[in-house]
Amino acid sequence: MTTVHPETLKRRSMLYRKLATEGARFERTDDGAAPASYANANEVACARKMGIADLTTLPRIGFKGKDTPAWLVQHGVKLPGGPNQACLQQDATLVVRLSNDEHLLLDDVEFSGGLVARLASLWAFESDRLCYKLLREHSHFWLLLVGEYASAMLAKVCGVDMQPKQFPFGCVAQTSVARNNAIVVRSLLGTTPAFHLLADSASAEYLWFCLLDAMQEFNGGAVGLEALRALARESNSR
Amino acid sequence: MSVEERLPAPAGLLLDRSKKISFRFQDKQYEAWQGDSIASALAASGQWILSRSFKYHRPRGILSMAGQDANALVQLPSDPNTLADVTPVSDQLAVVAQNFKGSLEHDKHAWIGRFSRFMPAGFYYKAFFRPKGVWEKIWAPIIRSRAGLGVVDTNYTSGYFDKQYAFTDVAVIGAGPAGLSAALAAANGGASVLLVDENRLLGGSLTYARLAGAADAAARHREQLVSAVGAHANITVMCESMCNGWFTDNWLAVIKGSRLYKVRAKEVIVCSGSMEQPAIFRNNDLPGIMLGSAAQRLIKWYAVRPGRQAVVLTGNSHGYGVALDLLDAGVRVAAVVDMRAEPTADALSRAIADRGVRIITGSAIYEAVPDASKNHVVAVEVRGISARGRCADHGERIPCDLVCMSPGYTPAYQLICHAGGRVAYDDATSMFTLEGLPQHMHMAGSVTGMYVHESVCAEGRYAGRAALQSLGLSTEDIEPAPVRGLSDRVNFDWPIFAHPAGKEFVDFDEDLQIHDIIVSTLDGYEDIQLVKRYTTVGMGPSQGRHSALATARIVADATGRTVAETGVTTARPPFAPERIAHNAGRSFYPERHSAMHHRHLEAGAQMLIAGAWLRPAFYGEKGQRDQCMAREALNVRQNVGLVDVSTLGGIEVRGPDAAELLQRIYTFRFAKQAVGRCRYAVMANEQGVVIDDGVACRLHEQLYYVTATTGGVDRVYQSMLRWNAQWRLNVDIANVTSTWCGVNIAGPKSREVLRRLCTDVDLSSQAFPYMGVQEGHVAEIPARIMRVGFVGELGYEIHVPQHYGEYLWDRLMEVGVEYGIQPFGIEAQRLLRLEKGHIIIGQDTDAMSFPAEVNLDWAVAKEKPFFVGNRAIQEVNTRGLTRKLAGFVIEDANAPCPQESHLVLDGDRMTGRVTSCYVSPTLGKTIGMAFVAPEQAQPGSTVTIKSTNGRLVEAKIVKLPFYDPDNKRQEM
Repeated sequence: MTTVHPETLKRRSMLYRKLATEGARFERTDDGAAPASYANANEVACARKMGIADLTTLPRIGFKGKDTPAWLVQHGVKLPGGPNQACLQQDATLVVRLSNDEHLLLDDVEFSGGLVARLASLWAFESDRLCYKLLREHSHFWLLLVGEYASAMLAKVCGVDMQPKQFPFGCVAQTSVARNNAIVVRSLLGTTPAFHLLADSASAEYLWFCLLDAMQEFNGGAVGLEALRALARESNSR
Repeated sequence: MSVEERLPAPAGLLLDRSKKISFRFQDKQYEAWQGDSIASALAASGQWILSRSFKYHRPRGILSMAGQDANALVQLPSDPNTLADVTPVSDQLAVVAQNFKGSLEHDKHAWIGRFSRFMPAGFYYKAFFRPKGVWEKIWAPIIRSRAGLGVVDTNYTSGYFDKQYAFTDVAVIGAGPAGLSAALAAANGGASVLLVDENRLLGGSLTYARLAGAADAAARHREQLVSAVGAHANITVMCESMCNGWFTDNWLAVIKGSRLYKVRAKEVIVCSGSMEQPAIFRNNDLPGIMLGSAAQRLIKWYAVRPGRQAVVLTGNSHGYGVALDLLDAGVRVAAVVDMRAEPTADALSRAIADRGVRIITGSAIYEAVPDASKNHVVAVEVRGISARGRCADHGERIPCDLVCMSPGYTPAYQLICHAGGRVAYDDATSMFTLEGLPQHMHMAGSVTGMYVHESVCAEGRYAGRAALQSLGLSTEDIEPAPVRGLSDRVNFDWPIFAHPAGKEFVDFDEDLQIHDIIVSTLDGYEDIQLVKRYTTVGMGPSQGRHSALATARIVADATGRTVAETGVTTARPPFAPERIAHNAGRSFYPERHSAMHHRHLEAGAQMLIAGAWLRPAFYGEKGQRDQCMAREALNVRQNVGLVDVSTLGGIEVRGPDAAELLQRIYTFRFAKQAVGRCRYAVMANEQGVVIDDGVACRLHEQLYYVTATTGGVDRVYQSMLRWNAQWRLNVDIANVTSTWCGVNIAGPKSREVLRRLCTDVDLSSQAFPYMGVQEGHVAEIPARIMRVGFVGELGYEIHVPQHYGEYLWDRLMEVGVEYGIQPFGIEAQRLLRLEKGHIIIGQDTDAMSFPAEVNLDWAVAKEKPFFVGNRAIQEVNTRGLTRKLAGFVIEDANAPCPQESHLVLDGDRMTGRVTSCYVSPTLGKTIGMAFVAPEQAQPGSTVTIKSTNGRLVEAKIVKLPFYDPDNKRQEM
């Protein structure tokens, strides 16, 4: 994997300076860069317990409007049963239903799906269709909180019960995290519990600080895409 | 007693006898075992005085050993008012006593007690204020020097405190036999249970109290329950955790260590137990006199023998259990004094009789006798009870160095009261009872007045099952709750014995005697709430835990009411003292940064806070604001400047009815706005007040991109959603503030700079005129470009997707070098817009500003059939204005520049206030805007401004704008 420096690219996560300070080595993601690893020999072990990864430059997109469900179904997207639910597509893209008419699509850490890119290219502003694209890859930064302590850590910053029993895979909370609006999606990386957290891009540095602080007692730390992929592969082979 | 001389196991449940530690108290070295509390370690070494009392400086020692009284407050290096009876001692800890002058044993202020009859409750309301001025000069300094307890360490550095949510089906507060039984019942039914207890050990009274039967009966019961709880997967245990308050919807504040847990429980079971009460007799506060349960805790928890020879004063069978424990610990029990005339014989009393202990019934302690130094009890005078609260004229003096008091209990009702429960009083049993619990709250154990072990456990199980039913986890019929029986009557009805010489303390915290409470009622303060405030009873550190019951009884007696009618004062959170740090620790203060934030810092920006945003105020040294602002503004006027406008709100309105929505929401007209054009948009509320402004850009017949103010966008968005919930127009509304970031490149050379990076949009004035909007690319980034003129120069707002923002800034600064581009901050932007006469909503408007007052009547389409605020605006316009925003200049170069909100005067009459004012480097004079009276608003009028330090400054009203009135600069 070629390493790059985010400042040489147009699209930059607001966190790239902080990630660099943590020792991140970046890899190319479309027109941006994401942390591949942090030169930490125990990064996978860390991710199993409590890791935080910046996925801000990974592909994602949103669609909103009353014709959105029909348009997505027309293009082969399987929709979650109702608002505040998420479901995986065959290509590992995660579709998150935020309301009846609003959906968010998240690519996976391998960028294996291509559904996000395909839908982005298919969409056009049309007067007779109330389905509008939302630039979720810019409006929100995107973190993955991974590991067995993730729900305990979230209990320090969020008033929603995210214990596995109450908040299983596919549950979505549009809530306040550290007094900041956020979307939290319960996911799974292989068999390791994971939470996607998306919030206003302008709050990225603030929330990064809050979350790192909250995960200190669990010896949590930043992890890169390589650790996430290793974890996913390792778990899948179990 | 050295550490080696402690009682043998199983006494000393909390001790780790493999770790000996040492600590200091009052400059003397003491030894302790790991696990000792400060007070237990001192008691083991014969140090019984812990502190001095607040008012009379009387010696005070162990009372409860449960952290419930002020006697045990000591000073740690950085922690005043630490509860010595529950705080574990640590190696090399330095502890000092509080509230004494001289030495702890010989307090120089102890003489005050001799004059107590001249200082009854409320005496300070009747003294200290005459003659005039005597309070400030004499009394206040004296009292202030003696007030307070511990000493605050002002150099203290707080540790790390934080908060955490916790979620559970059932929260059980209190892990005594009732709590353990309740937790098991609920958990067995499938509920998740959080079991909270303030102590280090689970088991509550089973850890120290004596049950009927074998000496180890309580320990065996405890072992069974605790093992079952420990093995249960559904139960989470939190020991050393204080549930300090109940709030709406079963929100419980639980403090453990340096963390505040915000517990959300679907059901709450309060098993908080009860608090043993002191008896009230003369000198009942002497060291060596303690609650029976305190002596038991010393023995069972810390293996400390609490004395050599004891007298036990009791009004129930529990006192006999205390006596048995004392005997087992090697203490000689001189007598059990039972206040009941005919106590019911039970297993415990028979066991005492069998061991040859003298039992004196129908009697009370009339007076405790101190030693020569008055620092410890050496005897008690026991007299027969001749009537309620009265003793016979003569009695018997019994030597002792320990007095254990077991006259009864009050329930730990505080949490239940937080939840709206009420404290009542049963005159038949002389006990407080609780009623009026809210839904989803249950209680069990001695808090309900249940004291027989089997019934306590049964009631716990009942509460657990009731919680399961409420959760919908059980539909089985529950067996009836156990009923209180005679054995549960543990309160002696009147353990209060007045003495002619007083010093029978009702409230140890405040040194309040029986007479003080009665004086309050004699002075007319008969309501219990007034008694509290007049006497301060219950207002000390122990918050009435040991005084509420006695006070209610005394007030009832003095006012001819029943105790039930008298009641108790309100219990509010917190239950126990908590550190401010628990509330302040790790609070969240969201902060928002634009994509260019770090570029501003690298350029030396001084940042200002705007809501949650950090914005560059100006670029340069902190003390150089005016110079930096002037330099930045002049560069915009002469060359080109770049300002970050990412914080501006952005809303997209999409769909067939998009224009109609804007037509109704904003005051101006939008129906015929052409695609590719921008239009100024003013928003009013239903009262016609201007609440926001922005620019509406029509990008498509069915797509508007509308900007809003930094602080107002959320309100604008909510307002649009709210109104359209009524109107049901066919539109989709999206807040895209976070999607787009933006810059404003402004100045006569801005077009040239932009041309270097934008090749797919014709930037010529003809193709892209003022108030046009185009979509294209800047530096190969997709962009929305608006030609607007907030600062009064040729300029473009460039909005690009958020994560491209820093790249955009870099490229513009890079190509702009040869044109003299410089960043400019918010201060310069405010100055530039003032020169151009543009208002800022919230600065030049207030919560009463109508469009015509702030010269925005041109932006109101009066012919529209409807828009929000229309009717109110019409009404106001009909009535005429009462004030007007006007521009002014100050010609006097030596006059101070007025500040915002400085007053505008007409003679002595206040007619308005300054809203904006700067020294304009472009115009070479001070300019500003101010609300003035309508008659003062005519250009050429003169107004007076009361400026800094009250200096009156003459200002001339002029026509706006100050700069480029023909708009040639912005339209070039």
